[in-house]
Amino acid sequence: MRRRSRVLAAWLFLAPALAMIALFTVVPFVQGILLSFQSWDGVSLDSPFVGLDNYRYVLDDTQFWGSMKNAVLYGVVGLIVANAVSMVMALAVHRARRGSAFFRTVYYLPGVFSTVVVGVMFSWFLDPNIGIVNQMLKTVGLDGLQHNWLGDPKTAVIAVAAVFVWYHWGFGFILFLAGRQDVPKELYEASSLDGARGWSQFRYVTWPGMSHVTGIVSVLTLLSGLQIFGTVQVLTNGGPAGHTEVPTLHIYQQAFQYSEYGRAAAMSVIFGLCLVALACVQLWVSRRLGGSTDSRTEKGR
Amino acid sequence: MTRFHTAGPTQPTSSSGLSRRGLLGAVGAGLATATLAACGSGDSGGSGGGKEIVFMNQSRGQAATLKKLAQQYTKQTGVKIKIDDVGPADFLTKLQSSSQARNMPDIYSVVDGHSMAPYYKAGWAMNLTDQLKGSWGDTFRPATLKTTTFGADNPQHVKPGTYSAHWETPALGVFVNAAMYKGAGLNPDQAPATMSEFIDQLRKIKKTGKGPFWFATSLSNQLIQSYGSNYMSDEELNATFVGKNSWKSEGWRKTLQLVVDLRDAGVIYNGSIPNGNGDNPTVEKAFFNTQGVAAIFDGTSAVGVARATAPDFTDFRSFPLPKADDGTQTPRLVGGAAKGAAVNPRSKNADKALKFLKWLTAPDQQQAWAEGVPLIPSAQAVSSKTIPQQLTGIAAKISDIQLVQNQILEQVNTALQKGTQALVLKERSVDQVLGDLDAAQKSA
Repeated sequence: MRRRSRVLAAWLFLAPALAMIALFTVVPFVQGILLSFQSWDGVSLDSPFVGLDNYRYVLDDTQFWGSMKNAVLYGVVGLIVANAVSMVMALAVHRARRGSAFFRTVYYLPGVFSTVVVGVMFSWFLDPNIGIVNQMLKTVGLDGLQHNWLGDPKTAVIAVAAVFVWYHWGFGFILFLAGRQDVPKELYEASSLDGARGWSQFRYVTWPGMSHVTGIVSVLTLLSGLQIFGTVQVLTNGGPAGHTEVPTLHIYQQAFQYSEYGRAAAMSVIFGLCLVALACVQLWVSRRLGGSTDSRTEKGR
Repeated sequence: MTRFHTAGPTQPTSSSGLSRRGLLGAVGAGLATATLAACGSGDSGGSGGGKEIVFMNQSRGQAATLKKLAQQYTKQTGVKIKIDDVGPADFLTKLQSSSQARNMPDIYSVVDGHSMAPYYKAGWAMNLTDQLKGSWGDTFRPATLKTTTFGADNPQHVKPGTYSAHWETPALGVFVNAAMYKGAGLNPDQAPATMSEFIDQLRKIKKTGKGPFWFATSLSNQLIQSYGSNYMSDEELNATFVGKNSWKSEGWRKTLQLVVDLRDAGVIYNGSIPNGNGDNPTVEKAFFNTQGVAAIFDGTSAVGVARATAPDFTDFRSFPLPKADDGTQTPRLVGGAAKGAAVNPRSKNADKALKFLKWLTAPDQQQAWAEGVPLIPSAQAVSSKTIPQQLTGIAAKISDIQLVQNQILEQVNTALQKGTQALVLKERSVDQVLGDLDAAQKSA
């Protein structure tokens, strides 16, 4: 009886949170899937079911599938470059004897800004005429390197990717730093006695010790890269001539510019499934490369 | 299918008493119901309760003048006006949320026809067609009425009629920096007679080291539509926009050639047109603030932007886009209607809101709009003296606005913007871009 009342109390405490999750996560998720089978202009009270019409449209939409290429590019850049930069910064700050608090704050700072603020800021920095990047190049006598960074297709994709890396490195940095601090000091002492230094210490102590963090950070960064939206919309809006277009921008256009919410929902469902598949692959690879995400705790038992 | 459903009656509980799961379910359902009830008003009418009219305003630049006029109206009639200044970035989102919550304002700003069409179809705007047939309608410029009326062939499938009234007749044209023109030995007060003469002027400006000409990607459709009037009648333009005529015609081929000519002459600033969310502000900043470019293609509302952001820079002129050398028609400006409002017919204050809208668009008030913003008013009777000097070049041709009832579809618009960029970058040919436009029109 006592146990029953405790269980009841526990459920009552959970009820508000569950109701909120149901209202703001589960219901919109299910509605989004339902909407992908309907035709809706965003305002009308009627949204007739259209069967698989929206999915047929998406399958024939070459621009949507073409934009996937850029999403994968940003995902890979996020996965490799952003994570490598974050890890190097985290390891450097961990070793620093002075100013580590300062660098922790500075490196984490970019992630605090809104994507729109970051986009506007970098559109000013990269302006071909008055942007700080070209002005600095001119000041140091490198006029020849001045460039129309966001207007030239060759550099626009790189510029957007660079902004993405800058914006996201703080997130990976703070998790890698926490992961590094979590690796027992004794392991380093033992490896030193065995003659391990520098790279071998990183390879056999640091890397496996941080594998659980690396797995999580990798998946989240990959997903962030694939879902990039705000930075692209503000910096280039998919231009020049569609060279930086990404699926999220295409979905946004379908819904909010063309008032085709059903098609946008169908694209979201397909894109969501692609993300889930890629995340699963990424988790599998992470486990193969760094052992189980829970390897450390498993072995510690 | 209807998107809103009323909750069915709750199932009676078992006579043997409430089980634990039943109790938890009831608590959960109660919470959800209470939350949902708090979110929706359950009333399909307007947000006003009868004493004051709620106006949802989209424009930042016109907010001060609107507030002043609303206060004047309250003094004259005793009807209070509450202005909800949402701003341009959030306007459509908030309007959509209001329509879904069935809590629409009594009167609200309108933007382009494509964005507003769902609201008109859903019955959130009063059909003003009969009202505008009388003396009220006679006060407006014909272009304003024509471009805001949905015809029988509109691709948005809105019931034919006029659903909004406007106090601004914008137009798009060329703005030139007078000092830069003079610096290149050119007369800024003399508009170029033809496009080739204009391109020659831009070449001379380029030689002085200044940026010659720029336009935003988001305005490329207006530039193209404006130039297209050299080769096509308003009926032919309209027929293309509704999908009756193909984009792959000689008229559109010659029109898009303009982008190629500008590119090949090397007179496009930086060799590319800006993109991104703030592409037109970037162009305006380069013209008004940093004065790095001598000529831009922009709307008449740019003068308001200049007054707000670069009040000291007034030495610029405007003129319509120069006519094509081989044009077969008299070129007409793109424009017709900008700022205006629609009345929510489901509001309890619909009649009061309509009276306020009629008052706002009357010539006396349009004088105040023209002086306060500034803008080119939609009322024919307003004195041209109120039009700023920088706009006189475009304003002189305001009677030559295209009478094209339908707009380019958003899907085609996106393809046109992308195509214009691709032409500037030499990635696609004119024929390829026209093929893209036809494909976009068909898939929309």
